[in-house]
Amino acid sequence: MHMADALISPLVGGTMWVATAGVAAYSIKKIQSEMDEKKIPLMGVMGAFIFASQMINFTIPATGSSGHIGGGLLLAILLGPYAGFLTIASVLTIQALFFADGGLLALGSNVFNMGFFSCFIAYPLIYKGFMGRGYTTKRIFFASILAAIIGLQMGAFGVVLETLFSGKTELPFGTFVLLMQPIHLAIGAVEGLVTAAVVTYIWNARPEILEGAASGRALSNVSIKKVAAGLIAITLITGVGLSWFASSNPDGLEWAMIKTAGTAELEAPDGLHQQLSDLQTKTAFLPDYSFKTPEDETELGAGEEEEAWPAISGGTSTSGIVGGGLTLALAVLVGVGISSLKRRKYGANS
Amino acid sequence: MSHHKLEVKDLHYSYPDGHKAVKGMSFCIHHGESVGIIGANGAGKSTLLMLLMGVLFPDQGEVCVGDVHVTKKTLPMIRQSLGMVFQDPDDQLFMNTVYDDVAFGPRNYKLDEKEVEKRVFNALELVGILHLKDRAPFKLSGGEKRAAAIASVLSMQPDILIMDEPTAALDPKSRRKVMQLLTSFKHTKVITSHDLDMIFEMCDRTIVIKNGEIAADGVTSEILVNAELMDDCGLEIPLSLQNCPVCGTEKV
Amino acid sequence: MANIMNSLYNMRLLDDLARQETVIHKLHPLMKLLTTVSYLTVVVSFGRYEIGGLLPLLLYPVIVFTLAELPVKPILLRILLVSPFIIGIGILNPFFDHQVYLLGGREISRGWITFLSILLKSGLTVTAALLLIATTGMDRLAGALRMLKIPRIFVLQLLLTYRYISVLMEEVARTLRAYSLRAPRQKGVHRSAWGSLAGQLILRTFDRAQRIYEAMCLRGFTGEYHTGGFKEIRVWDLSYFIGWVFFFAVARMYNIPMLIGSLITGVIR
Repeated sequence: MHMADALISPLVGGTMWVATAGVAAYSIKKIQSEMDEKKIPLMGVMGAFIFASQMINFTIPATGSSGHIGGGLLLAILLGPYAGFLTIASVLTIQALFFADGGLLALGSNVFNMGFFSCFIAYPLIYKGFMGRGYTTKRIFFASILAAIIGLQMGAFGVVLETLFSGKTELPFGTFVLLMQPIHLAIGAVEGLVTAAVVTYIWNARPEILEGAASGRALSNVSIKKVAAGLIAITLITGVGLSWFASSNPDGLEWAMIKTAGTAELEAPDGLHQQLSDLQTKTAFLPDYSFKTPEDETELGAGEEEEAWPAISGGTSTSGIVGGGLTLALAVLVGVGISSLKRRKYGANS
Repeated sequence: MSHHKLEVKDLHYSYPDGHKAVKGMSFCIHHGESVGIIGANGAGKSTLLMLLMGVLFPDQGEVCVGDVHVTKKTLPMIRQSLGMVFQDPDDQLFMNTVYDDVAFGPRNYKLDEKEVEKRVFNALELVGILHLKDRAPFKLSGGEKRAAAIASVLSMQPDILIMDEPTAALDPKSRRKVMQLLTSFKHTKVITSHDLDMIFEMCDRTIVIKNGEIAADGVTSEILVNAELMDDCGLEIPLSLQNCPVCGTEKV
Repeated sequence: MANIMNSLYNMRLLDDLARQETVIHKLHPLMKLLTTVSYLTVVVSFGRYEIGGLLPLLLYPVIVFTLAELPVKPILLRILLVSPFIIGIGILNPFFDHQVYLLGGREISRGWITFLSILLKSGLTVTAALLLIATTGMDRLAGALRMLKIPRIFVLQLLLTYRYISVLMEEVARTLRAYSLRAPRQKGVHRSAWGSLAGQLILRTFDRAQRIYEAMCLRGFTGEYHTGGFKEIRVWDLSYFIGWVFFFAVARMYNIPMLIGSLITGVIR
């Protein structure tokens, strides 16, 4: 459920980056104030483990298929929420850089979706709630499954919202939700089952690890107040986003687009483009055979769409295709040119 | 140079689970000595090394480096004069290039970057892997990794080198190279190993540990040939000293 | 499992590529990072119907590819394997948007336009991220992050994760091999071994972390991570960054293919 750069708008990507950076900064501060520098190599190596654990296929009973673990909840249980969150962040950073999973702009969203909900909501509210009365195999089992499912459901819903706010796909909200949530119910159940099995094993073999992660300093700090503050922050973020989305007045989004991209969508009133198209209509080199679809106006209120659509529509399409082809050819030419120049240089050297 | 002396007085240590790993060890290692520490698995070698390095603190007794007691306060100083090479180089090479790894120690002591560079180059040259300085650790062979791990300790310019199984998991040629390298150092050396032939060649003095106590401490060439002692401590005479399996010629 | 092993090789390949010494490799890592981020921002800021305007942005990967002397094939392969998520989401567009649109006299569903736009953006963004790492490498990138005042703890942890991925992958691979040799007809790990197999690996990982921590402490680690001095930003590095940003801005503000097209078709008519 990695969000990809191609599906995200700068506004949504930027907002989620800010949110994630905030949570990360807070987590770092927490770890530093605990003076728990021992945790740093542990976080590093556990991150690498989560990576490597993708190799393990867990056979799902009675289905014949197998699944992996994402590890968000497991990290929170073993390392505590702060260290767990940072570890997920570094795992996702490396995935974005080396494996092109997700992307750099979408990194903020991905860390938030996969880290925040597991570490700061599912773990303290659900898992710890169950474990408040001490560890038992049964409690580990139910707590892990419930926490994993809820964490993943929230994460999946995050993906849906972020994608919709970004406005890069045509998927209606309802369809998208129906697509994402059930899939992640299954994924969450597997994640929960595996997490429960692993935690039970570690609880039997080395209970001090779980106690260490959950002991006084590290965890009593996850006060309900903090979690509530986090929740309010998310609500605010989503609320503001939603109001933009729902607003029939596109100015809000438009304004943000100008701010973030440094320009409004393509129909900039001034500039060379405008002058040229003025010239075009005047001289009628390209007669105006652009057709306007009436539905166009009524569909969705989002300003982005209305702005973006005419840019490619209608009569300008021929020039668009010709110019596009030429641009491509030019790009290829530049590449070939540079590499042949380089080769010649090498030839001269050797 | 008495400050290179490493002294252990009546050392006791038990793990939190109650297991008594070290029971009253005492010895003194002088400047320039090469000392082998041998013993069966679980005899207490690793615990002893951890106590020497101040990773663990004894329940009773003390460790002195020169005239300084190993305590939490003196650790930074102690660790500058004691350099430890771990058994698994992957645990010791935790940075992404050999250079950064060797520079890790000096940088932590806040030397300026010029001095750091000088030390890194010196250390890498000493172990003969200067050409590998920009390599990633996973690109190194076993022997190269070992050399890099040793360099990462040498860059701290320690007086005493402590090595845990320096020849473990090396092919014969690499093992020989590491041994030659270690012999060329003038440092005081403390080596724990099951590679008794290596101990026999490299260390003048050997301490045998059994169940957390010192079973013998003396000249290597006398201790390692003592079949009864070796057997009693879960060890055996080095292969190079055993009777020839082909012609049966007796060596001892 | 084979798939993950491929990822490992891919990672090592990128690591190797990053150790070359071309004009691009020698550029300041921070400038390359900032250029990449600007590029990504510009690419994704285009509307969902945009295709033409994105094309000039191809110039950036083309130039970096050639100047950095990177092998096209392995990196291109990576890009083709883009997350199925994108295609999965994107391919649904044609089903939801039937608005017909005339393109060169032919009718085309608007959904296909958005799908193509998403694919193009995905190709460009994925390439840009891979190019960054293939010309910079993790260690130098970490230096750039430190210059951006990203906290030491996070940078160190990131480096440690990167360092130990290959070590732990080998460890997990060994364990799985041992498992599969004694469980011949199983596709994955049976439920009865879930906890103990993964659990033991985790315990070993904890022990390793403990040893690494000790190794760090013995060399003076006190919770602070000291990088060496930062590389100086030369005028050339800065102009590389500014030059690209200027180009990106122009490409964002003016639809260059449209301009070229208008000129050409104008001249022809």
